[in-house]
Amino acid sequence: MGRSEYSEKIQHIVSAMLRSGLVDEVLAFVQGLDEYDIVPAFIADERDAEKIVVTSYNPLSLAKLLAEYGDKDKKIAVVVRSCDARGIIELAKRNQINRDNIYMIGLECHGVAKPSDKRAKELYILGSEIEASGERTALDETLLAPNCRRCEYPLPTMADISCGIDREPMSITVNTEKGREIVSAAKLSADEGGEIESAATKERATRRQEEDFAEMRGMSAEDRLNYWLRQFDKCIKCYGCRNACPICYCKDCYLDADRILIKAGKLPPEKLFHLVRLIHVADSCLNCGQCEAACPMQIPISKLYHMLHKELSAIFHYEPGIDIAVLPPLGTISEEELKAGGVELA
Amino acid sequence: MNNEFEPKILGFLCNWCSYAGADLAGVSRLQYPPNIRVIRVMCSARVNPVFIFKALLGGVDGVLISGCHPGDCHYMKGNYYTRRRITAVKKLLDTVGIEPDRVRLEWVSASEGIRFADTVRDFTETIKKLGPNPLKGV
Repeated sequence: MGRSEYSEKIQHIVSAMLRSGLVDEVLAFVQGLDEYDIVPAFIADERDAEKIVVTSYNPLSLAKLLAEYGDKDKKIAVVVRSCDARGIIELAKRNQINRDNIYMIGLECHGVAKPSDKRAKELYILGSEIEASGERTALDETLLAPNCRRCEYPLPTMADISCGIDREPMSITVNTEKGREIVSAAKLSADEGGEIESAATKERATRRQEEDFAEMRGMSAEDRLNYWLRQFDKCIKCYGCRNACPICYCKDCYLDADRILIKAGKLPPEKLFHLVRLIHVADSCLNCGQCEAACPMQIPISKLYHMLHKELSAIFHYEPGIDIAVLPPLGTISEEELKAGGVELA
Repeated sequence: MNNEFEPKILGFLCNWCSYAGADLAGVSRLQYPPNIRVIRVMCSARVNPVFIFKALLGGVDGVLISGCHPGDCHYMKGNYYTRRRITAVKKLLDTVGIEPDRVRLEWVSASEGIRFADTVRDFTETIKKLGPNPLKGV
């Protein structure tokens, strides 16, 4: 199935949901004036559903957008990638989104193009191939955003339904009770029960993570510190990473100039800026790559956050954005810990 | 003048156990290195990771956080949160290339004056071995 057919299938689901009154609004990427004009939009009229496109251009996190601009009392459907879906679940845990009112239509995604690449809006990435103006060619991996190479979740099994692109007709998996409502509203046939994520994908993602992190881990502590200090020195304190991050949800932020910690007008900012963001985000980092995509100085921050997150998730056994009932690790204590002495956690 | 490196250590001691423990070390006239500067906090969980980073960036060579033993927290669960937090802080420091041993968490009760003195002595030695904090002045 190609890009346009996939878009049409999604449009069909969305317009059926709006028509049946299952949801009041739909949040998705739509095409504006031409193919270079891809913007997120809330759609309330089913006739506008035909503007929805699937895209390998990912300018912002829909989870963050939903928390900021979504009407909390309205039922809203969101066309999500797995990183958006996981962001929505993380924000729902933090009481920023009412998960009961959100319906998630999951898109299969094999990574998005680097936003800095000028071809990002023209092409569509389908697994090992790319589609550009109807033609399919083999995927050049350097085109992918670096965080997407490390992604473990091509299929959003945490969304209400997940739509696979690989088969004809589109394979739809129902993951939740709400997924069943979506399927019946759109009169689709679907497989029941969450699809088990393929071990091969997970293995490939782990291998690439190891590849990416090995270089940093191989350095001596001194070299590593110098590397990051040099990277942080590039920072122009635009707050792009903070504003783009779906985990950074605080209205009143430590890093704002009126909180004294970070001095107004000082460039590059104190190194504290980066350490504060790192400790606040790393336990729940989704590896969505929005921080790195937003950074005008191209600091490889998503690598840093993801690297630390992997270390922490090994200790706390926390996988962000999967189960809404599992709360962030720094705010919870396990039963075993209550019995354990010592100052170290295994 | 001897030119041996004398580290500066910042200690965050909880009001209910460790501060009393340090007090006991004092009234018992136990000898321990004068490198530690103490800030009393109501609970070890009051220690925001940001305090630790601020201290390290401000040129302190080591940070000691000390609270009640597990199960003894005056606020029931504060020290368990601290344990998780400090674990994360240490991993963070390691990831960016600062020795995680510059931060230490210890449980010291109000009756453990000797343990407090030993902790400070041992931590001062550790920091002396590590040398000055590489973050000083960045």
